[in-house]
Amino acid sequence: MPHHDTQPGEPRQAFFSRIHQALGRSTTAAPTEPAPAVDEKLVRLASADDDLVALFARRAREVGMFVELVTASAAAAQVKQLLDARGAKRLVCQPGQAGDAIGLRAALGEGYVFIEPDGQGLEPYYDTDAGISDVHAALAETGTLICCSGRSHPRGTSLVPPYHLALVRRSDILPDMIDYWARLKGIPGRDLPSSQAFITGPSKTADIEGILITGVHGPGRVDIVLIDDL
Amino acid sequence: MTPTPSAESLLFPNLPYTVAKRSDVATRDVQLQQFVNHATLTKDIARKQLMPQVFGEHVDAVRTLAGDIKQHALDHLDYYLEQFISNAEAAGAKVHFAATDAQAREITIAIAKENQCKLCVKSKSMVTEEVHLLPALEAIGCETIETDLGEFILQLDHDAPSHIVTPMIHKDRTAVARAFVRELGAAYTEDAEALTRIAREHLRQKYREADLGICGGNFLVAETGSVVICTNEGNGRLCTSAPRVLVAMVGIEKIVPRLEHLGVLLKVLARSATAQPLTVYTHTMTGPRRAAEPDGPEQMHIILVDNGRTEALREETREMLRCIRCGACLNACPVYRKIGGHSYGAVYSGPIGAILTPVLKGLENYPDLPHASSLCGACYEACPVKINIPKFLVQLRAELVSRKLDKPADRLFMKLWARSLTTTATFRFGGWSQKWGFRLLAAFNASLEDGSDYAARGWLRSAPGPVAGWTQARDMPTPPARSFRHWWREHEKQGRTQSPNQPPH
Repeated sequence: MPHHDTQPGEPRQAFFSRIHQALGRSTTAAPTEPAPAVDEKLVRLASADDDLVALFARRAREVGMFVELVTASAAAAQVKQLLDARGAKRLVCQPGQAGDAIGLRAALGEGYVFIEPDGQGLEPYYDTDAGISDVHAALAETGTLICCSGRSHPRGTSLVPPYHLALVRRSDILPDMIDYWARLKGIPGRDLPSSQAFITGPSKTADIEGILITGVHGPGRVDIVLIDDL
Repeated sequence: MTPTPSAESLLFPNLPYTVAKRSDVATRDVQLQQFVNHATLTKDIARKQLMPQVFGEHVDAVRTLAGDIKQHALDHLDYYLEQFISNAEAAGAKVHFAATDAQAREITIAIAKENQCKLCVKSKSMVTEEVHLLPALEAIGCETIETDLGEFILQLDHDAPSHIVTPMIHKDRTAVARAFVRELGAAYTEDAEALTRIAREHLRQKYREADLGICGGNFLVAETGSVVICTNEGNGRLCTSAPRVLVAMVGIEKIVPRLEHLGVLLKVLARSATAQPLTVYTHTMTGPRRAAEPDGPEQMHIILVDNGRTEALREETREMLRCIRCGACLNACPVYRKIGGHSYGAVYSGPIGAILTPVLKGLENYPDLPHASSLCGACYEACPVKINIPKFLVQLRAELVSRKLDKPADRLFMKLWARSLTTTATFRFGGWSQKWGFRLLAAFNASLEDGSDYAARGWLRSAPGPVAGWTQARDMPTPPARSFRHWWREHEKQGRTQSPNQPPH
């Protein structure tokens, strides 16, 4: 990178020369030994042999999310029931393919205000009651939802409304985080989404005297409609 | 805490700094002891239960693996950083290089000015604390808000963080309530939930208006050019998603080679820090928003910070840079629990601070910090990346001596002691002078009103000079009238079959 006098900071070369000096060499060298292998015997905490739906549901509940297990035919009605129970009217509804598969938009019908992204940023989402999303994957081992940014996947859906409702299909569930990284193997950074959020529970804080409070900045409530047969 | 030094001087005291000044005050502060004890013990116990529950017999092997990953990345920091930079740039991020804290500030200010930023929302980051970023932004008219609830409260109350993970464990809710009344005009409440709501509403407005977002980085992934932040509140995701300009300021030691390595470290980070399986939000950011994405920052700047790290990168101290800032060593440390984070006089407190600060900021500036430990080893045992903290504490103590940075009185005492152990004659002379020294002290004690009983029973209640430190907190036994050598001589004279009486203790 060229360095101009007007540009603050240190030239890249000088920055690296101090690193080289500390490492006892004069130029960047590729490692001669391989990076440590990740021994799955040690760190894999769930495998395909586990009952992944049950494990995911249990772990998700442990971290404070609400999980309802349904069939595809009952899923849309379940979503509607949850929204009504929470009094959610103004919706950011971006449920992707999972939503299409259960015919969610049609099933919700009248009585809701659908807030669309304006392509400018998070602003449309602040005055809403709920964000409905699908997930790019879910991790059984930790009860984690993985939400990535994309064309029809705003970052704001799972972040800004006070209530996040996620549709998770059985086929979305991976046993362990290891399996998610394996899926990304070989994809260059520029082809990854700009944001990959691993969500493990509702927004939490314990900063005031260690007292656990949910919903400090992100959603205080996260419901998962877990679709058993998709 | 009394007296209350300014937030500024808490983490950036006049140098050279001595721990004793603040720790003396802290150890007498009953409330501080209660808060810090409770918070750290709870987390320490939870971690100790959870790790074997999750990793079973492999806990130690997992720590070794996590440590090896970080060590490998540090051993080849040049290679992985170059890789990170080209991948981050390919994804559309702009990478900057800051050799010093001043450069880190200058780069951020230039970005803020170029984009005419007026309001900055910031998520919790130790390195931004370290380079003193906030006052610099405020000075150019860019209002900057800490959004982590704890840090937000500390900012409002002109206080400074005292723990890497849970920054305000030294404060209680009444302090929060008072700060919210005073600074936000809120109604007084001591309800933690209500206080959190007040902060939420206040900060929501700031996210909407902010044009600059600043975050740190828990990890940098070389193979993808990603920056990873781990937060629980969601403020990290908001700060990195709402404003149009994003600055991630990250220390160079945060690099990991590949995503699978990131996975191993994520598996131990939150479990070691707060006994959570993962933090609520683990946010992996790779470049600014893509053309098709409906939201996210338009610009992503990554400022790689050295600020003394290449000094620590030397072979002798490289292992220290493995630290993933989980705070487990703070929670495990009996000394941290007594003296609190502010006693360490620097951004990084606790056992890791006791070894990192002298290397980053000069041992001559923190000469008694390596002594702020009992060398019990609880920190090493807790560390998920196996940094041998006690070893480095001893190494730094040796350096204090070799660089003649220790106290002259200590040096003289150690010299005399070493000398007294070299020959029988000097050893006997040492014992003899000790005996008479103590008899003198006993006589002095007998003259004290409350000391005479003690002296009669062979204890010293108080002593002057170098022994005062001992008798401040406990009594000191006087040496027995008859020495072991004396007993041995008699014993030999009378033959071994018949012991004259029991040897002295």
